[in-house]
Amino acid sequence: MNMNQRASNWNRRDFLRTASAATLSALAAGDARQILAAEEEKLRATADTVIVLWMGGGMAATETFDPKRHTPYEKGLDPDRVLSTFPAIDTAVDTIKFSEGLERTAAVMNRGTLIRSYTAGDLGFILHSRHQYHWHTGYAPPQTVAAPHIGSVVARTLGPLNPAVPAFIDIGQRFDVGEGEELKAFHQAGFLGSEYGPFLIPQADQAAASVRPPHGMPPGRFENRYQNYKKLVAQSPIGQHGSDHQKESLLRSLDNAHRLLSSPAAKAFDLSLEPKEIYDRYNTGQFGLGCLLARRLTEVGARFIEVTTEYIPFKNWDTHDNGHTRLVDMKAMMDPPISQLVLDLEARGLLNRTLIVLASEFSRDMMTEGRPDQQVKNQVEVPKVIEELKYYGMHRHFTAAGCVLMFGGGVKPGFLYGKTADERPCKTIENRVVIEDLHATIYRALGISPKLAYEVERRPFYVTRDGLGKPIVDVFA
Amino acid sequence: MIIKASLATLAILAFTGSLGADQPARLPEPAARAVDFHKDILAILSNSCAKCHAGGKQKGGFSIDTRESLIKGGESGAAVVPGKSAESRLIALVGGLEPDAIMPAQGPRLSAEQVGLLRAWIDQGLPWEVGFTFKKTRSAPLEPRQVAVPAAGPGSNLSNPIDLILELYFVSAGVTPTDVVDDRTFLRRVYLDLIGILPAPDEVDTFLDDRDPAKRALVVGKLLSNSQPFNQQYAIHWLTFWNDALRNDYRGTGYIDGGRLQITDWLAKSLVENLPYDQFVRQLIAPTPESAGFVKGIVWRGVVNASQVPPVQAAQNISQVFLGINLKCASCHDSFINDWKLTDAYGLASIFSDGPLEIHRCDQPTGKFAPMQFLYPQLGSIDDNAPQADRLNQLAAVMTAPGNGRLARTIVNRLWARLLGRGLVEPVDEMDNPAWNQDLLDFLANDLVEHGYDLKHTIQRIATSRAYQLAATSAAQSEREEFVFRGPEVKRMSAEQFVDAVSGLLDIEYEKAVVKPAALAVPTDAVAKRAGARAALVHADPLLGALGRSNREQVVTDRPKLATTLQALELTNGTPLSTLLEKGAKKWSESAAEPAPLIEQIYRRALLRSPTAAESEVAREILGAPVAPDGAEDLLWALIMLPEFQLIY
Repeated sequence: MNMNQRASNWNRRDFLRTASAATLSALAAGDARQILAAEEEKLRATADTVIVLWMGGGMAATETFDPKRHTPYEKGLDPDRVLSTFPAIDTAVDTIKFSEGLERTAAVMNRGTLIRSYTAGDLGFILHSRHQYHWHTGYAPPQTVAAPHIGSVVARTLGPLNPAVPAFIDIGQRFDVGEGEELKAFHQAGFLGSEYGPFLIPQADQAAASVRPPHGMPPGRFENRYQNYKKLVAQSPIGQHGSDHQKESLLRSLDNAHRLLSSPAAKAFDLSLEPKEIYDRYNTGQFGLGCLLARRLTEVGARFIEVTTEYIPFKNWDTHDNGHTRLVDMKAMMDPPISQLVLDLEARGLLNRTLIVLASEFSRDMMTEGRPDQQVKNQVEVPKVIEELKYYGMHRHFTAAGCVLMFGGGVKPGFLYGKTADERPCKTIENRVVIEDLHATIYRALGISPKLAYEVERRPFYVTRDGLGKPIVDVFA
Repeated sequence: MIIKASLATLAILAFTGSLGADQPARLPEPAARAVDFHKDILAILSNSCAKCHAGGKQKGGFSIDTRESLIKGGESGAAVVPGKSAESRLIALVGGLEPDAIMPAQGPRLSAEQVGLLRAWIDQGLPWEVGFTFKKTRSAPLEPRQVAVPAAGPGSNLSNPIDLILELYFVSAGVTPTDVVDDRTFLRRVYLDLIGILPAPDEVDTFLDDRDPAKRALVVGKLLSNSQPFNQQYAIHWLTFWNDALRNDYRGTGYIDGGRLQITDWLAKSLVENLPYDQFVRQLIAPTPESAGFVKGIVWRGVVNASQVPPVQAAQNISQVFLGINLKCASCHDSFINDWKLTDAYGLASIFSDGPLEIHRCDQPTGKFAPMQFLYPQLGSIDDNAPQADRLNQLAAVMTAPGNGRLARTIVNRLWARLLGRGLVEPVDEMDNPAWNQDLLDFLANDLVEHGYDLKHTIQRIATSRAYQLAATSAAQSEREEFVFRGPEVKRMSAEQFVDAVSGLLDIEYEKAVVKPAALAVPTDAVAKRAGARAALVHADPLLGALGRSNREQVVTDRPKLATTLQALELTNGTPLSTLLEKGAKKWSESAAEPAPLIEQIYRRALLRSPTAAESEVAREILGAPVAPDGAEDLLWALIMLPEFQLIY
């Protein structure tokens, strides 16, 4: 199925009437002015949709997509000897090995590009939410203006792909599970305006409720409520006094909301409509269901989706102890749905126009906190000799190398980019990638220049820091 | 003599070197690297060209103020052919190809390296810093200015100085103002603007029945009096305004490890006591522990950009909030958008710093330090050697010195914008922009100072003017280039006003207050009960956030004016509002079995009027008979979605 076929899945009429409303609303909202560098080459997009699979909490590269020498557990281990606690496994690409537990994703590696040289921001102190802010906005907090999430930049720049689907959908992060305020600080459109903020679905299995009438209200009553409302608007003495800007904006926004809720695309949010067999394949928990939801939303024309394993301090990828045993679980949670997502999008003909980006705010190592040449305060105690299993794992926060896995959207199949040292410190030794370059690469796939800027307080705010992001052209087919 | 030969010919001649011994040398080669406008080019342009060709000066008709004007050239044609430095007249002149017209005309000639950089810059397409210009920006006068208030014209009954000043404005601008609004519209507007909530139906009746011609002024006086419950309601309403401006929130980044302090108790007390504004400002700049949160800023763990260390945050924030000055650009490099320099920002920031504050340019240390100095040194000096606490006292005194007319202008402009929907100067944080009526701005500023910096006085002055009582106009008008004042603009209820109005209508407390400042102890009488827990005192949540409550990570002085789709979704099926409506509808539907009285009461509470016959008919259809809770819920939802409810006319 190609793009035209995807478009035919939407209700055309729905598309057209919502399109005009959405365009009007963007024009009226007093948006930040777009500034393009004077000589801008016209970029050809290779993707229409981006799905970020967020490994929140710090995913250890040597335990996942960049395995090194395996040292099995035994009492009395010298921690400095341990680079990987899992053996390496083959992938569909001869030159690329993964870590044990990622067999299914390994089998689809021939559809994607692996970057092993992502080097996280050097922010002087490891704070997950701060590095996550940096990853998602391209800027280190705090900033003098409210920096937008990359999803908001995409939403503002390209608009919705299908106007009946919110342009930026964020799946899987709750804000009451720790560092919530810090997380909120970048889950926002900032100065671009809340029109471009994330449509939040904290739990994938509850997604249907977010596009349904309020709890307990049958669809018929919901529709009547709106029709009656319109009658009252028409009857209101103020309504008869002609028009004003504010009123128009209010009426239009409610109209957009009702169109969205009654659109056929809204069914994509309802996971109960998925055949049980497929549902079960994805269902390794909220993250797996998030991947399923992302697939369904991609099918109806979502623009930017992020699915997170959810950042909860000291949980999930935030392995300060028991790193080995906990990663067995994390891999079991991520491996089936991620590979299924790739295969399903491929089977539907959507993978070539959908860029999947799996990433984390930084990697982990057993010894180094921060980076080898600039270590920061250790936050995890590492004994001189490992006598207990709980110390066996990558527990310190490592910023000098990390993995980003990409599929579809124009990236080369079966391609490896960047190289890390095979001995500790396993830092980047070839083709270093920093956040502005990674963002520039994602923007490049979408046909957006890294030098694009939006005006705020009369100054330009570039979509990559100072407009300096350079797309990694090598990863594009 | 000016050589008329074409530049291309000249260039060829120069390269072949076929002219005589006194002929110009060949052009230096372009630099063989990517040039950076800021690092490589700006200094050359500033030092060698700007004196005669920038900042409004354009000798020979040539200005380098903008990229466009630079390319366009002057009297003798285009100065630059982008991409082709050898064909660019600018290069010919600075490269000495025209012996009679070597540039710069004064001062040393450019070195071969500099010419090479300019050539490479042109060859690379003349990259220009977006937004950068050499144009001088306007600086508003600092001193206060006395304004002679015109006398009322013959037959005029105007007495408020605002109206006397505007009377002249209307005549000279050839503008006819809108009509004065009716009593009901006025009462709704003044309640929402001054104390943030809707009047109760009996308050509306009393007001409409009142025959006193001075009743509008009297109600303004009542709302601004220090008697309860109005004083408390006033304080809670304006708490939101100041929480935004001083980025005081009850949770947020920084609190996680003591990197941020609340000033809620201090702020509530200041508002309840109507602390004179000059003292208010002094206590924020040279703080007590209770008011320290504002200049302390927000501290994230780890290394932050040099332009966001706490002393620089303090410099930016006091400049923005108190003076309408944007110092953010100048905190990183000399500003492109105004005339503030990096040394100005650091001179101010250093006053707040515990130790020496090294100047960083674009986050790189320079090894230099700025002398401590206020942005307007003419107002008074700061002693570099004094302890920090003393310096902050000096700064507080300088900021509130009588010569600083800008302090008062900035706050009266903010108040005007709050009440009339648009500032005399816009944006309200750029007080160097011209006011649409300078006399009015200067009058209001002086009026505030002469009345002991009493903010309630200024609010009263504005709210009792005829200008304030004019019919609201569409906000779209303000997007025209030349603003014309005809009357206030239609305003949107803030998130807090909306939620308070809805919880008032439903008679249900929205959420429990999360802050309980001593100054806002809950009074017991019936009228005050309605204002029990107000949205200003609760945590931000999805509903308040969607309606525009800012997250207060940055200073916010203006909320979004228009509605968004995400917001409409929250209003349509969001849990906080649906839950509230369900509970409220139950109460309402139990209060009356007959639709007619119920509709009457709901309309009076929500819209302060009776429904029309046509509205009654629709409402009856929604309610059902006998009244069903679902029907009541749907009617309530429909009413609170009406523009008439959500907008302030």
